[in-house]
Amino acid sequence: MNMTPDFSRAEHSISVEQISRPSLSYWQDAWIRLKKSTRALISLYIVIALGLFTLIGPLIWQVDPALQDLNQISQPPSFARSAILVGPFEREETLIDPNHPEEPAEYPDVIPAPQGLRVVGDATTQHIRIAWEPVDGAGGYAIYRNTHEPEGLNDLGLPLGNTMTGNEISYDDRLSLNQQDYYYSIVSTDGFDESDAYTTLKVSPAAAITKTEAIQRGLLEPDSDAAFGDEVQLEFHPLGTDYLGRDMLARLMEGARVSLFIGICAPFLYVLFGILYGGFAGYFGGGVDSTLMRFADFVVALPFLLFMILFKIAFGIGPGESGIMPMLIAMVLLSWPGTARLVRGQVLQIRNNGYIEAARLLGAKDHYLIIRHILPNTMGVILVTLTFAVPAAIFTEAFLSFIGMGVAPPTPSWGSMCNEGVKTMLSHPHELIFPAAFISITVLAFNLLGDGLTEALDSRMRSRE
Amino acid sequence: MRTPLKQLIALFLLSLANATVLSAEFETTAVDYDNQEITIALTQEPPQLNGMKATDQVSIMVLGHVMEGLVGYDRRGNVVPGVAERWEIDDKGATFWLRKDARWSNGDPVIADDFVFAWQNTLKPETASEYAFILYPLKNGEAINQGKMKPEDLAVRAIDDYTLKIEFERPTGYFIKLTAFTSYYPVQRKFFESKSDRYGADADDLLYNGPFRIKDWVHSASLHMVKNEHYWNKDAISLNAINAEYITADTRSRLNLFIDGKIVLTRLDGETYKDALTQKFRIRRFTTGSVFFLEYNHRPERITRNVNLRKAIQHVFDADEMVNKVLATPGNLPGKSLFPVWLGGVNDKFRKEYKAPEATIDIALGKKYLEQARQELGIDKFPPLVLLVSDSPTAAKQAEYMQGLLKARLDLDIKIDIQTFKQRLAKMTAGEFDIVGAGWGPDFDDVMTFGDLFASWNLNNRGRYSNPEYDKWVRVAMNSADPQVRMDAMGQLQQILFDEAVILPQYEQGVIYLLHPKVSGVARRVVGPDPDFSHARVIK
Repeated sequence: MNMTPDFSRAEHSISVEQISRPSLSYWQDAWIRLKKSTRALISLYIVIALGLFTLIGPLIWQVDPALQDLNQISQPPSFARSAILVGPFEREETLIDPNHPEEPAEYPDVIPAPQGLRVVGDATTQHIRIAWEPVDGAGGYAIYRNTHEPEGLNDLGLPLGNTMTGNEISYDDRLSLNQQDYYYSIVSTDGFDESDAYTTLKVSPAAAITKTEAIQRGLLEPDSDAAFGDEVQLEFHPLGTDYLGRDMLARLMEGARVSLFIGICAPFLYVLFGILYGGFAGYFGGGVDSTLMRFADFVVALPFLLFMILFKIAFGIGPGESGIMPMLIAMVLLSWPGTARLVRGQVLQIRNNGYIEAARLLGAKDHYLIIRHILPNTMGVILVTLTFAVPAAIFTEAFLSFIGMGVAPPTPSWGSMCNEGVKTMLSHPHELIFPAAFISITVLAFNLLGDGLTEALDSRMRSRE
Repeated sequence: MRTPLKQLIALFLLSLANATVLSAEFETTAVDYDNQEITIALTQEPPQLNGMKATDQVSIMVLGHVMEGLVGYDRRGNVVPGVAERWEIDDKGATFWLRKDARWSNGDPVIADDFVFAWQNTLKPETASEYAFILYPLKNGEAINQGKMKPEDLAVRAIDDYTLKIEFERPTGYFIKLTAFTSYYPVQRKFFESKSDRYGADADDLLYNGPFRIKDWVHSASLHMVKNEHYWNKDAISLNAINAEYITADTRSRLNLFIDGKIVLTRLDGETYKDALTQKFRIRRFTTGSVFFLEYNHRPERITRNVNLRKAIQHVFDADEMVNKVLATPGNLPGKSLFPVWLGGVNDKFRKEYKAPEATIDIALGKKYLEQARQELGIDKFPPLVLLVSDSPTAAKQAEYMQGLLKARLDLDIKIDIQTFKQRLAKMTAGEFDIVGAGWGPDFDDVMTFGDLFASWNLNNRGRYSNPEYDKWVRVAMNSADPQVRMDAMGQLQQILFDEAVILPQYEQGVIYLLHPKVSGVARRVVGPDPDFSHARVIK
């Protein structure tokens, strides 16, 4: 039998597997995968920008967020305005026509509308004085103001005031005047009921500021020799002002500090606690696990708002003081069970994997197993929980400040700013839109970043590629 | 299986159609010209229709339509005869002659004893009427209220059924105005005793002598008033019914009801008025007569006791600025004094005869006062002051304005304590504040309703201000019936309030409201039931 060998000795090969690319750590790999998701990347940039806005912003935009500018109340976003200097307002006596009776001997059935309606002096946003000719048979006049030309008796606008006799023939208006057109209408009255005729005058006041106030606000040097009538630049409010003339941009920055402090501190603390708690329960399992998890179930049942109020009282936080610390503590104490459950589930699963068994057989100690094998594998879940917890915490803060449980005035937070803004939503939408937009963008950015991180960090997703 | 389902659907559709028909039937409109009916909304359920105990605006408003006192007010606020036909008043007392045709809604005549009984009952300590003090001008009234005398000792006698004789504790020049107030309304003895605790609890548990009577009252839902056929002056009353179909305090929903043509009157606030403007409604204005001010805590342990600290604040606060820029609704007047402009003086308005002193706005001077206060108090830095306000949106805004103002101008820190109305009152009474945003509305048309507010014995003087000089002038005014003496004393009070900066007057409240164009003759009042529809009518 010719025995030909089926096997021959192979040629010794020197070729080994070529490592053509540098080896990647878990984090480097995650980063590459994160970069592939544009959404996540943009969100990351937004989060970084928010951080800069909060930390660096106040250093660049050094405006006191509590400073009230009553000359520019509820201004929409705009470029810097200027105003003319005027003297201090002094209430003058109402003009009285000495030749006209206070009340007519008898009221006619129809009292005509006054004629000769005119502006006395300069019409400025500090003060508008209008005057008219007295009407025979009038026992007083009613003064209305509107922002468009009246279309009829029902469209005269705001009833500013009344003069109570027929010979008082002027009215001083200072009621929240802006640089816009006003239509003043005058109706004669019999001292009680108004007649059905009116005359209207259009007035366009010039923006004005008193010299004393300009100096006080630092718009002029104290020893400035600027004369009345000169122009002066008013404070610049790029995002407009709120209902007390406070700078929106400065308030948003200050508010961001509160909102992001709560939004980052609270989740960080309770996620950390949740990891320890859940990890402990999951790793040791059995009786320890059931006991710990039943306690977590118990904590879930506790009402957050009630505890928040209890903490506020227990801490002796009086009225008018910030409720941020009790809010933080209530959140940390009551929000961890979610994370704990998640981490426990993850640990339970990983604990039974083959490589853990193998490592244990090779003599690995508990702490080595936890640090080297279990924690890194739960990292994905943890980071994702964290990124989702941030918007949740920002929302909670916003909600609590919205109902008045959070910051104390004048400190703003985005939530309390929304609360104020919603009251003037129709007339001054910017007061609501800006803080609401910041909350929305922040929450969205953290959510999308969370999404991106889930994909980047999850090892199962990696194997699918 | 199929038929029942079809039937069910048919049934459902039928009931839907039914519901539409029904709701169309009950569709209310604000005005009904043919029947002379109007529909209104109340801001809250009247908590108390027992005139002897009522304290709130809604109860007083409803009672003002269904009851009548000895006198009333006309549209212009002048006193007009009510149950009393004529009267005589001097320093010692008063005599009222009652009209013979005044009747209760059960047909019984209104007699002098009905007043005696009501007033005795109000003063009884067991009644615990918060307004008992308004009957103190009656001789022995205060002693009865404090349980020192029996109700029968009240020096008010029914000489006969139609003559009422009253003795005064002290001369009371404004007594005639008091008799229009709710607490002075009559109560029939027989009827009250038959109802006892139930008196005023329901439509049937009240006997009416006013232009209207309550036809039915569904608690927390509606209250219907119809013309009282037994009212002596019923020919002067045009309306046949006033239907309060809605009970809500929300200005937004009230405005919507008005826009939908469901109610005839609604009040506007800083937000809703803009919608009313765009809807092109004729907005009306009305001064409520109330004065709002910051009241300091004068208790010894509080630093606001220091007069120079208060003076400092007085010199940096600009009421004109606050009214025009912060409140920013028309109708409010800058506050200059505790005494509002509408109060009558000797011959003219009080404020025209006694000009309110005004502080110059001078920040440097304010700082000087503050420095003086700091030295007197012996402190390095002022601790934050607690500013207590109620939880309305405007109150919070005003508080923030004050906080910003005092920080910017005096570098004083303010902590804002926002509380509900009830809680704020409790805290005011307990003295848990440094400064409190307070207001005072008139109970009757006389300077005294404001003047005695800061007398050391007045329980509404929550800051516990106590000044013998102030008390002295209040007593002078109380014990005189001479208008000149009384007004001079009030002028002194106004000066003391300013010199000592006891309070910081902020504004006299004005409100704006909408009224249905087809309703005329509605009276808005500073004192008494407001709004008053008694003499209203629906026009074509």
